[in-house]
Amino acid sequence: MTVSHPRTVTQTARIDTDRLAVLGLTVAVALPLIVFVVLPLVGILNLSFVTEDGIGWGNFVRYFSSPKFTRVVVNSFTVTLTTTAITVVLAYAFAYAMHRTAMPGKRAFGMIVLLPLFAPSLVQALGILFMFGRNGVINRSFGLGIDIYGFWGIVISDVFYSFPHAYLILSAALALADARVYESAQMLGASAARVFRTITLPATRYGVMSATFVVFTIVITDFGNPMVIGGDFSVLATEIYNQVSGQSNFAMGAVIGVLLLIPAGLAVVIEKWIMRRHHASITDRSQPLRLMPDRRRDMAGLVYASVVCGMILLIVGVVFVASFVTLWPYNMHLSLRHYRFEVQNGLQPLWTSVWVSLAAGAIGVVVTVAGACVMRRLHGAAAQALYFLSILPAAVPGMVLGLGYIFAFNDPANPLEILYGTAVILAICNVYHYHAQGFLIATTGLNQISRVFDEASTSLGGSFFRTLRSVILPIIWPSIVSVGVFFFVRSMVTLSAVIFLVTPSTQLAAVSVLLLDDAGNQNQAAAFSVCIMLVVAMALALFHGLLRLSGAKRVSLFG
Amino acid sequence: MFLSLSNIAKRFGTVTALNGVSLDIAEGEFVCFLGPSGCGKTTLLRVIGGLESADAGEVKLNGRSLTETPARLRNFGVVFQSYSLFPSMSVAKNVAYGLECAKWAKPDIHRRVAEMLALVHLGDQAEKYPHQLSGGQQQRVALARALAPNPTVLLLDEPLSALDAKVREDLRAEIKDLQSALGVTTVMVTHDQHEAMEIADRIVVMNGGVIEQIGGAVDLYERPVNRFVAEFIGRMNLLSWPPVADRGTSSLRIGVRPEHIELVASGGDASNSVVGRIEKCVFLGSFTRVTLAVGNERLQLELRGRRTDLGPGGSLTVRIPPDAVHRIGDVTR
Repeated sequence: MTVSHPRTVTQTARIDTDRLAVLGLTVAVALPLIVFVVLPLVGILNLSFVTEDGIGWGNFVRYFSSPKFTRVVVNSFTVTLTTTAITVVLAYAFAYAMHRTAMPGKRAFGMIVLLPLFAPSLVQALGILFMFGRNGVINRSFGLGIDIYGFWGIVISDVFYSFPHAYLILSAALALADARVYESAQMLGASAARVFRTITLPATRYGVMSATFVVFTIVITDFGNPMVIGGDFSVLATEIYNQVSGQSNFAMGAVIGVLLLIPAGLAVVIEKWIMRRHHASITDRSQPLRLMPDRRRDMAGLVYASVVCGMILLIVGVVFVASFVTLWPYNMHLSLRHYRFEVQNGLQPLWTSVWVSLAAGAIGVVVTVAGACVMRRLHGAAAQALYFLSILPAAVPGMVLGLGYIFAFNDPANPLEILYGTAVILAICNVYHYHAQGFLIATTGLNQISRVFDEASTSLGGSFFRTLRSVILPIIWPSIVSVGVFFFVRSMVTLSAVIFLVTPSTQLAAVSVLLLDDAGNQNQAAAFSVCIMLVVAMALALFHGLLRLSGAKRVSLFG
Repeated sequence: MFLSLSNIAKRFGTVTALNGVSLDIAEGEFVCFLGPSGCGKTTLLRVIGGLESADAGEVKLNGRSLTETPARLRNFGVVFQSYSLFPSMSVAKNVAYGLECAKWAKPDIHRRVAEMLALVHLGDQAEKYPHQLSGGQQQRVALARALAPNPTVLLLDEPLSALDAKVREDLRAEIKDLQSALGVTTVMVTHDQHEAMEIADRIVVMNGGVIEQIGGAVDLYERPVNRFVAEFIGRMNLLSWPPVADRGTSSLRIGVRPEHIELVASGGDASNSVVGRIEKCVFLGSFTRVTLAVGNERLQLELRGRRTDLGPGGSLTVRIPPDAVHRIGDVTR
């Protein structure tokens, strides 16, 4: 047997170009994170500690000496804690119904419950106002005189707003179960309540804790709903906006920003810490749980899930209907007049939103996938530092990030000032606002690929970039596309960070909804919301169509 | 020496994977690293391939240190345990990958891929994708892929352990044939002593991060240097001799393979014999394994064929031929 030897590879110890490539990519990923996350944060911290008498706690002392501001802090915490408690309990029950009962219609319920993720963040408040507000149809029709503005309005809107986030975490926790444990308990004669208390609840406690901290962060940093339905009830997120946009008091905005940053940051840190200590108790030997039909339990699950999904649909549905009637609730004749958008700029903000979101999707894919890829080759302190930087944005509330961008980039000394006031900075801001989540989706996708592929490619002489291009990316492209869709959708519906950065010429659709509502033009706000939701729905349909055409396996978008 | 390892050490946290390993491998040789899981054999293979960096010591190829040469530039072919074929590429693309990395010309690549696939009897499967192949076929493609760029050294990391027993035996023979035909220096990691004994020119028995013994199959089986090797390669009875020592006389620690113990027929040679009580008789196909209680010690013997005449409770006289006795010097290991 003879084998030809056309050329042999020399193996002299050349300069390792792979090391350079990894180093270069690390810098290319870390530098923008420092510029677009760390610097704005430093700006906020700087300003909040700068007083007329030099650096110190003066601003904070002044803040807490005013009873009005102290009340804002108390408001924020009472609203957030109340909402978190309600949401986690309701979402747990919903996830339980989805995974531990044999009720019918799970597919539909599973899709409906995610609806709030794909709507502008203030749609919940808008929908509730169409029913229970001053001009709400239920309030008007029955003369109930309910005053929804304030504490309970915010709580109810934010329960719906944060519900899908809590559901996704709890759903993951409840989906996993080892049938052998449950069968053992049954054979030992444990009642259903006892099984729940001694097995189900302890097995899902990490999910419950994680969901609690995640919902806490989402609610305390939410801006859109309190803005629309809060009335005189001020919370930290809205107070930042009032101080900065209403009174141009940037120093006070920065102080409130820090006050918001601390609890939100702590919640994220604790949540990550808990999840790191959580080691899966499910092994490859575990038997999946098989559900025996149980009429009473399944019926209860069905009724509960129907009520929850019914309410979610009702809120979105009311906004939808309100956008098509002449003047809600006085003149309920169908009309398309609100879709003429006879306001300043017309429909332009929607197109700006689409372009900004496409750009955010593209930039977001590049930076988070590059980050996830380079993480695969880094070890030790460098890996930890880059991971920390990548996850850091999760701890930064949108309002704080947006305000930080003003300080960092509305500064002639910064060469990046040319970005300020453009649509580009809106896209960048959205990318880094949601960087942590995008990065985690990309990392999860990448971690599904065995390292053996990297090693096989390396041993065959494949460079870092060739391995990525020829081996890794062709396998994980569905995850990559889903990262892009994630950034696109978030950018379409977000309000909090970009509210400080839009200009009349770079107005975004979600901001338009807020401004239209603020101007008393609820029907047009509804129409704009519907347009946003349609764009999002089309993007999702396109994404799923693409996956189906290519025969890729189901890729989960959120969660 | 062609490939030479000196004092290789590697720790993972508090675990010492390799504790000063030195070894020389000649060009064209087939060497097996054999040992229980966790003995450091895979780590040693990965250090040779550059997939893992050693904390101390160095690997030399033709006298030149490879420490500064990354895996990518070593031109060592590696075959992994399983599932290492790139799933998004066809069989032909997989085999061509290393050639493209080495910038071979297109026609050369084409010819080489066809040649390699013919070599592993998969010429007709070139356009298939990995998931369309059986486990054995996948490993043959992996072998073709690793051999295509004319590697200086071929490294096989338990390439057969994920396969069914029958496929494993066929492929074992095929690897050996291929290796001797191509003359490529090969190192294979395995925990299967039969695999190592069949395929290797030399076997490196490893345990706890060190080399216990190096030698051919016959050396290791007939002249194990210590108790670990004696018990790891084949089975070995360890007993004191004479079994019941008289007061004042010293007894010796000896080893004897189960198949070397002979039955004493009535009237036969009864020198060096002991009497024991049969505890267990297990029929294992081509032989029957009998466990014998002699005083406090247990003796295992393997008798050809099925033995219906023996059963638990019966007594048996067996003889240990002097030339079958191993003196186990290192009892502590």
